[in-house]
Amino acid sequence: MAEGLTIFGKEVFDTLFIDWKIMVPVAIFSIIMFFVGLYLQLNKWGQGIPEGATKPVGAWGTLKLIVHKIFERGIGPALGIIILDGLFQRRTWRRRKTEWAMHILIFWGYLGLFILTVVAAATEFYGPFVLNETPGNPQLFVQTFQVLKPFNMLFATMLTLGIIIAIIRRLAFADVPPARFTSVDWIAIAGLSIVIITGFLAFYLRLDVYHVPGRELVSAYEATTPGFFNNITVLFHEVFTLLFCVAYLPFSKLFHMFVTPLVIMMQKGGYVEVNA
Amino acid sequence: MAKNKPAISLENLTPTQLMEYDACTRCGECVKYCPTYNARNKDQAIEPRDKILRWREFVTKSYGWKAKIFGPAAIPPEEIKKFTDDLYNCTTCGMCGTVCCAGIDTIELWEATRANLVKHGTGPYGKQSLFPKLIGEGHNPYLKQQKDRLAWMTPDIKIVDKSDIAYFIGCTAGYNQQVLGVSTARILNKLNVPFMVLGEDEWCCASALIRTGQQHLGDVPKQSALHNIEALKARGAKRVIFACAGCFRAAKIDWPRAYGKALPFEAIHMSQFLAEQLDAGKIKWEKSLDNKTVTYHDPCHLGRHVGVFEEPRKVLKSMPGVKLVEMERNRNEQRCCGAGGGVKAGIPDLALGVAKDRMGDAKATGAEVLISTCPFCRRNLLDGRDDLKLEMRVDDLVVLTANLMGLSTDVKPPAPGAPKESISDLFRTQTIPPKPPEPPKAAAAPANAPKEAPKEAPKK
Repeated sequence: MAEGLTIFGKEVFDTLFIDWKIMVPVAIFSIIMFFVGLYLQLNKWGQGIPEGATKPVGAWGTLKLIVHKIFERGIGPALGIIILDGLFQRRTWRRRKTEWAMHILIFWGYLGLFILTVVAAATEFYGPFVLNETPGNPQLFVQTFQVLKPFNMLFATMLTLGIIIAIIRRLAFADVPPARFTSVDWIAIAGLSIVIITGFLAFYLRLDVYHVPGRELVSAYEATTPGFFNNITVLFHEVFTLLFCVAYLPFSKLFHMFVTPLVIMMQKGGYVEVNA
Repeated sequence: MAKNKPAISLENLTPTQLMEYDACTRCGECVKYCPTYNARNKDQAIEPRDKILRWREFVTKSYGWKAKIFGPAAIPPEEIKKFTDDLYNCTTCGMCGTVCCAGIDTIELWEATRANLVKHGTGPYGKQSLFPKLIGEGHNPYLKQQKDRLAWMTPDIKIVDKSDIAYFIGCTAGYNQQVLGVSTARILNKLNVPFMVLGEDEWCCASALIRTGQQHLGDVPKQSALHNIEALKARGAKRVIFACAGCFRAAKIDWPRAYGKALPFEAIHMSQFLAEQLDAGKIKWEKSLDNKTVTYHDPCHLGRHVGVFEEPRKVLKSMPGVKLVEMERNRNEQRCCGAGGGVKAGIPDLALGVAKDRMGDAKATGAEVLISTCPFCRRNLLDGRDDLKLEMRVDDLVVLTANLMGLSTDVKPPAPGAPKESISDLFRTQTIPPKPPEPPKAAAAPANAPKEAPKEAPKK
């Protein structure tokens, strides 16, 4: 059975639920695809010509334009808009409270899970590289994982609640006729549903079927929880989540999660009542 | 195999606008408020969010990652034509942008996309295509003569040759709604405000061309803006008063773009000027409206587009015998009158449909009088009123102000068949003689001459 990945004599990823030989390449592929997608989007937007310019600005020019427009009035006002309109979606709050709840739950649920993933990955390296943990003793990571678990549950529940609100609102409480549904919408809903269902299934397997309370060394899984390591459900969930939520993100409808706040920030909060 | 060419171009669109197309979350808030969607029996194709979705799909098919790898996908020309027509079924009132949860600047987005489609060859819509020739060559959209710019002047009105203050009359007040011109001039005279006008040197503000995406055709809006700015500057204008919301919007937003810097004078709307004079204690009301209930319609071009909401209300509230009541949709959430964005000229039935909805809003307040601050709104709301056969009177704030200041709002005796909006609707001291029967048609007009000017169209 595979153990961790050795980098500069230090061992990392030796407590993953699935083989790092699968996980690491999929993660790297996903991140590369994310940046490729981001570049393609920037390049597409960059085919536009900004006011006062004479030719398209391209991907790099668009990136500069985004930063310039957000901070055009200085850091203070920009931060205000980033916090109020980007992170707390003030415009949606003013007009559509249910949608605001849905967006906040999905946005923060998604972002929270992403941040936890980054923290977990960083901890993988922090133990062996900074604390000089000996191979086969991933104490820091195991402790950190215990701390992250409730947050993981919280963000996953937020994401789920958000999606449930989205579906119920669309089916039962829509105040305007529903928007035209396209294949892009179906892919988004189907993909997110798969992520969530398999996520909870994996969670259930881990806790209720295999009784895996936390992380342990890869080599220990066979002894303590035979059949859990590289379990097909867990494997599928983690690989699919990486591919769908990271690699496919810039190509999907879900990309508006980033574009919409960016546009609001570039528009300095958008329309506001001048005399209000 | 050679790759297809993209079916659409991205000309005229900025990177920000291309991002905006991707930013729409399709929440549908715009749908709730869109006046043309409502007037078109809630046709999904007219929804702002559906237009955004369709253009986004065009862009994805032409410039998305699949297009990069496999070549652009074909888009049937009739699909682009249908999209164009739907895009022009919009008054560019900006309501969708006001309520947009994604902060999309829809006014600019629609206008830029329209310009793109004009270049593509599918825009504009109907009679809107006459605007470049009419405004470019005749400097007004009504097929009138420049020498008649001041034909509305009556002997009592005093205009000086040089003054810090100028009155930019606009084509609609100058040619078709003389009551607005004479009322503005008489108020300024009464307030002892010496003012000048450009007269024959005044050109159309060219708003109609920008609103319909035709700004690049002959560069007419830029030429018009530069001409007017230079003419006003040359005469030493420091403040320019506009009584037309369409011209005012053009001067505030479109002219500085054409000029490349801030205007060398202050542009001010007549309602703002009146509010100022009121504050200074210079306006003395001499008459009362006898406790009439009045409601106020915010023109899109004065309200949402440039943010003037309170000054007209301040003037109305100060008037003796005026009981101001608000429509449910007011200020930044007001419903458009239906005339803007070239709709009055291009799609008159849509303009009428929206006007009827707005008159319905006014009727619901129980008001006897509907006041606005835009000759274009006034004309379209009069049409809506007539179609609904309502008793309500529809007039301009300036006309009402003039009357209550004890001034005449009479214009020169109207010509037979003159437009109904030439005279005051509220103070009916004049009548328009019926149009005589038309003589038999002479020789056909030259093939390239516009057959008909838009009756009251393009200002917005």
